Amino acid sequence: MNEPTAFLYPFIDADEHDAGRLLVDLANSARTKAAESAALRTATLARCDDMLRSVADAMAHRFRGGGRLFTFGNGGSATDADGSAELFRDPPSGRPLPALSLAEDPAVLTALANDVGFELVFSRQIIAHARAGDIALGFSTSGDSVDVVRAFEESARRELLTIGLCGNQGGAMAAGGDVEHCIVVESASVHRVQETQDAIAFTLWTLVQSALKEHE
Amino acid sequence: MTASTRPDTSADTLAGALVDSSADLWAELAFASLSIARRFAAAATMWSVSPQWPSHGRHVAVEFVHPVIVGKRALPAVSVESTDLVGSLRLLARPGDVVLAIGTADDSRVARLMERADAWGVTGVWIGAGPRPPIGAADHIIWFDELDALLSARAGELVLLYHLLWELTHVVFEHPGLLAGDAPATDDVCVTCSDEGRVAEVADVLDAGRAEVLAAGHLETIDVSLIEPVTAGDLVLVHAGVAITSCAEAPRAGAPERKPDE
Repeated sequence: MNEPTAFLYPFIDADEHDAGRLLVDLANSARTKAAESAALRTATLARCDDMLRSVADAMAHRFRGGGRLFTFGNGGSATDADGSAELFRDPPSGRPLPALSLAEDPAVLTALANDVGFELVFSRQIIAHARAGDIALGFSTSGDSVDVVRAFEESARRELLTIGLCGNQGGAMAAGGDVEHCIVVESASVHRVQETQDAIAFTLWTLVQSALKEHE
Repeated sequence: MTASTRPDTSADTLAGALVDSSADLWAELAFASLSIARRFAAAATMWSVSPQWPSHGRHVAVEFVHPVIVGKRALPAVSVESTDLVGSLRLLARPGDVVLAIGTADDSRVARLMERADAWGVTGVWIGAGPRPPIGAADHIIWFDELDALLSARAGELVLLYHLLWELTHVVFEHPGLLAGDAPATDDVCVTCSDEGRVAEVADVLDAGRAEVLAAGHLETIDVSLIEPVTAGDLVLVHAGVAITSCAEAPRAGAPERKPDE
């Protein structure tokens, strides 16, 4: 590097051969980011405590009435939707509950994306499956994913309990009127938002299990 | 509802675990990231599996293939879900690739992959929580010892570990001088002569005490007369073209450790 600013970046250099210094920096960076992740989760769960409890009570009420949970999201959030549905349906302890991820079947997703457009991949499945009394749980780190927003529109129309997990400022999910319970994780980092969203979904599952137990 | 309904693996538990964690976790994460970046720079594919939690395997793949940060390079990563992971990955993985697994230490499906890494010439990375796999069970073991495995898998902790792995891997890419890395090292040693021994997987049993084996991802013919009988899929330690011992497989779930004496 011969640019005048090269002295600012002594290690961005093709001649760098000793990885020791980099390994120390990487380890420190990982430790810092993990601490940020833990802090964001603690702060978000504390700030949303009352809301999570009332959402869990509403979910438990619907499960007791025979309602089912539908989860959805894109990319990493699709896998979070899959994982959450698995947690409710096949829990490490407690009562198994009916839950399905609408992001899990590529045949359905590609058929809908190819024939009617990607923005409808989840809403068309809501039309096919959902009944009043069911629950819609959508994940979007931006809050702006059009297919997720459209699924909430359809879910609200069909009187589902609508729960949205989103990041940053909440985007269209927080601004529109179709998500009854919008839980915003206040961070601009997609990764830190996803980690906290997993913690929120897990907390909801724990609280739903407690609420169902209290009524046994 | 009372405050006692708080999940017992919340961020508070994680915060505690972060304090308790020795520097080893972060050092191992850093070392694994360097190794993975070097493999990718040398045209590797990453194969991700999580037999217990398939959605984690898919999350790892989408993370690397489609970066959330604009401008970061897309890297080849594939999630594999199969009832025969060993058979599938033996076919798919090429020497120099990375096999990344997420699962508990007692998941024999993961252990059977990791113990074949040297024979296939791939780098094995095992991510999990709870009781840790034995030392040397994988090239890189990235582990939250203090957390409950089943709960960490769902409450964001395991996601954090592979998010960090992705983030650090891309930091390494900003250091081109460090990307020309070494090949995956094998540190198995022949107990007789203290010389190097290599783990190999039997591919085909030939006649006259010979077998064709996969070692460091390449087929070669060796002498197995010292340890016969062997069958395809067995792992053996090879020294100077001779199989000197069979490698004990991780005990299968439910299988007795030894046969009862007659």
